[in-house]
Amino acid sequence: MRALSPWVMALLLTVPPLAAQEKESTTIGGYGEVHFTNATGPDTPGRVNVARFVVYLAHTFSERIAFHSELEVEDTKVEGGEAGGEVAMEQLYLDYTFSPAVTLRAGLVLPPIGIINETHEPPTFNGVARPLLEQEVIPTTWRDIGVGAVGTLPGSSGLSYRVYLVNGLLAEGFSAETGIRGGRQEGKQASFANPSVTGRLEWTRPGLRIGGSFWYGGTANQNPAIGDGAFDAPVFLSSADVRYDVGGFAFRGLFANINISNADRISAAFGESVASRITGGYVEGAYNLLAALAAASSQRLDAFLRYENYDTQASVPDNVVKNEALARRVTTFGLSYKPLYNVIFKGDYQLRRNQAGLGENEVLALGVGYEF
Amino acid sequence: MRVLAVLVLWLLAASVSSAQSAPPGKLAKSIERVYGEGVRIDSVRVDTATVLRISEAGALLGFAQVRNVKGKDQPITYLVAIDPADRLKDIDILVYREPHGGEVAYDSWRKQFRGKAAGAPLEVGKDIRNISGATISSNAVTRSVRQALAELTDWHRSGRLK
Repeated sequence: MRALSPWVMALLLTVPPLAAQEKESTTIGGYGEVHFTNATGPDTPGRVNVARFVVYLAHTFSERIAFHSELEVEDTKVEGGEAGGEVAMEQLYLDYTFSPAVTLRAGLVLPPIGIINETHEPPTFNGVARPLLEQEVIPTTWRDIGVGAVGTLPGSSGLSYRVYLVNGLLAEGFSAETGIRGGRQEGKQASFANPSVTGRLEWTRPGLRIGGSFWYGGTANQNPAIGDGAFDAPVFLSSADVRYDVGGFAFRGLFANINISNADRISAAFGESVASRITGGYVEGAYNLLAALAAASSQRLDAFLRYENYDTQASVPDNVVKNEALARRVTTFGLSYKPLYNVIFKGDYQLRRNQAGLGENEVLALGVGYEF
Repeated sequence: MRVLAVLVLWLLAASVSSAQSAPPGKLAKSIERVYGEGVRIDSVRVDTATVLRISEAGALLGFAQVRNVKGKDQPITYLVAIDPADRLKDIDILVYREPHGGEVAYDSWRKQFRGKAAGAPLEVGKDIRNISGATISSNAVTRSVRQALAELTDWHRSGRLK
């Protein structure tokens, strides 16, 4: 160590030598969305709903240890004996940061699958409701209890990863219409019979994000009719997604595939018509009209068009009869007005079609949303 | 020299009590990366702000400042560094605390700021490209850099920062 120069000595004399530490701090954030939806035509009344009110509460204990949480109220209230309404913890975990490359995470976490599951604040997506594929194929908001690691790979590779060992799905909740959605345990007095692994690798550059995700884990819950091994009746999900912004344009796309092994036994055991394969994808393009109409404005008025094509019975086991109405095609178009990047007013029109041509309808939706 | 720089920055961190600070070693490394090894770092007060004056052998290399900006719900601590002509030399994310959006630390995104002067729009969607999926972080950092650059330029031109 070299001798201290006079200017350092001067500073030493004038500044109290306290350790520079990360201060403990508690922070809050949140988001919310209010919807108007009419799925039954202009001659019938629509429905209004405070779809979500969400509070983020976080606390930094030290430079390395932090707590994060997300508490959600859906449909304004929960009333005994009434359908709908939910008060739920969607995230609750501790982070232990070793370096930008490795943060260990433990608690109730979001499987890093697709676009919406991790980033579901209303100003981040077009359309009042989330893409249907990211409700009925990828069951957002998907969360479960587990441990894992997240980080960015060193250097300027632009690569980041998340990998978790989490509690698994239960086959008894699977259905024909919404696939694995009902199988989520969401960290509520859950059976830990089927540990599962999930992860994601992402590559990011300005304007571009490409990601690939997976989930693998058993679902049998030691039900003798399905299997008593921890990895029996496994679900394997793989997905790829891309988000690309250039000039006034914003594009995003997602493809997902889910294989359910032993779907025949699951269907037989629970009297459901569970598919052996669920698959689908969507593409969406948007253009900021203000980029052309008022180039100086920092507001956005995005016109968007999204096309979704998915089938929750893409393949069925021998003991299940395929329902063609589950092969769905959904076209959504509308406008998103963002006076600020974290406030949004939305309106869209959705055409819901299916292979069987049964129960097709059209949905008008209006909404407001915010995040901070 | 590195030891000295760390010591000064450690003392600086101890003296700045208003907001989250960065680990001194990280800050020293960042300044070294931007301005080169062995530079002299003096701490200068302007109003309530602390600015780092960077020089080498008596020649001014520029000014740097550690700032905090709120991301989604956590402060993002970053370094903003300008050259003697008040152009942005670089920004550096020193501490990122949010669970997502850390891509603002990537060089590919930060390099968009280099060479910008106070008159530049510095606005996501105009001269700064968004990070898809990290809208809040990229907007927050960009806005804060715009303000930092305006203030540092103003202080320097008005002679409060020499």
